[in-house]
Formats: sequence, structure tokens, C-alpha cells
Amino acid sequence: MEPLKIVVAGPVGAGKSTFIRTLSETEVVDTDALASEEIGKQTTTVAMDYGTLHLGDQLLYLFGTPGQDRFDFMWDVLSEGALGLMMLVRGDKPEDFGAARRLLDYITSRHPVPYVLGVTRQDQPPVWGPEEVAPFFGVPQERVVGLNARDPRSAVGPLVRLLELMVDE
Amino acid sequence: MTKQEELQGILRELKQALPELRSIVVASTDGLPIVHDAADAPRVAAMAATALGLGKRISQTTDLGSLEETIVRGNQGYFVVYATGDKGVLAVSAPADANLGLIHLEARSYAARLAQVL
Repeated sequence: MEPLKIVVAGPVGAGKSTFIRTLSETEVVDTDALASEEIGKQTTTVAMDYGTLHLGDQLLYLFGTPGQDRFDFMWDVLSEGALGLMMLVRGDKPEDFGAARRLLDYITSRHPVPYVLGVTRQDQPPVWGPEEVAPFFGVPQERVVGLNARDPRSAVGPLVRLLELMVDE
Repeated sequence: MTKQEELQGILRELKQALPELRSIVVASTDGLPIVHDAADAPRVAAMAATALGLGKRISQTTDLGSLEETIVRGNQGYFVVYATGDKGVLAVSAPADANLGLIHLEARSYAARLAQVL
């Protein structure tokens, strides 16, 4: 079976690097730099994250993007040849939903691939659940999955859904 | 003298030392411009941070030791990003006929000075 390339995108602080670190079976390639602006964390991804994992027999390559808009050129670079998009957004930060919606449009308009919207921090209420986020984004309920990016069993859920959609489409 | 003025001063000196440079951008390692003489500094700063961040990781992964610079060479010139301490990057752009050895020599020493101020 051919390995599948999946891009992991989302606004800054969505949990993209955490998601890849949690799931990768191989040593993660990350590119953290000290954050010089107030973004609620010490470091930020400036180029990419890279990890790999198996779902059953299927090998997946995960390519994580930087979150800040100024790195938008990397969204295109990393989306090249991707077969699926894992979009993450913080469920406890609805002010990020607009930016995430625009990012989802930006990537899917240039790279029309199946996507799943993962709503992170489901373990930290109060948090928006996937069923509340789907109408906000105007996307089908089946494409929105809640997760805790730190928990392997929870984080793998949206990837399984994405793989199902990729097989169907 | 403020930190910004001090950095501006170093940038001016670097321009005098290497007049063939097309542009100079000093940025934070997370891609925000600090001092520069480039029209499109925000974009160049972000790309310089990406190039350096990726270069550092490649250097580590392939056992090259700590990164000194990342070089992009096109048929019309160079874009070189120098590590500038832990917090900064120094990106210079130069035409294809520039003396790259001389640029390295000067830019590395200016990067070290910038790093002390950052």
C-alpha cells in the first residue's frame, strides 16, 4: 500500500505539533523557535513538523504547518502532493474559528482533498463540542471530530475518520 | 542609545562593508522583522526564519553540527540566512556576481555582533 501524505493545519496554538508528537511512531522532525510575541506558549513552529504512523497496514506521513499567517507560503509548500487535510482548531477558543474557517477555505480551494476538522481540548471544559462547531463552519457533521491532542487514543479518532473519507472520495 | 538604534547602526555598517547587498533583514527566529532595509521585510523575515529553522533541523539530523547559515542560490543571485545567536536571524540578498566568500566573512562577524545586542 502506498504511504499517504496528510497535512496538519490550523491557527497558532491549535495543537498541531502536539498532535503529531502524540501520534508519531518515529522521531518527530520539528522546527520550534522561541516565540517573540504573546501567543500563549513559549515556542512556535517556523517551518514544519513531520511524523509517521500506521493505521492498520496503512502508513501515514503527517506534515504539520506553522500556525501564523506570516508563514502562509509554507501551507502551499507542505500541501503539495497531500491526499488529505487534518484541520485543527482549539475548541475553547471560539475567537479562532474565523481564522480557521479562512485557512480551511484557502487550503481546500488550492488543494481539493478530503478534510476533517478536529476540535481540540475536549478534555478541558468549557469547550465547544464538534456538534456545535460544525454548523459554525458550515461543514457536514461527519467531518468534525472532537479530540484531545495529548491522548493517543483520542488523537487517532479524527485521522481514522479522515482515512475513511479518503477511501470514500 | 536604544537597542533598535544600536541594531540600525550595525545594519548601516554592514551595508557600507558590503555595498553590493540588495537587502538586509534582521528578524527574530520566529519570523518577525526587527531592523531591515527591505521593502517586503515582513515576508522576507518569515521566510528567513523558516529557512533557518529548517536548516537547523537538517543540520542536526544529518550530523552537520550547529547551523551557521542556509544558502539559497538562484541563477540571478543569493539569499543567505545566518544564525544570529539563539534569538535572531540575519538574511542578506546579493546578486549572482557577488563575492560569496567575502559576504560570509563579513556577515558572520556582523551576525555575532547583532547576537550580542539581541
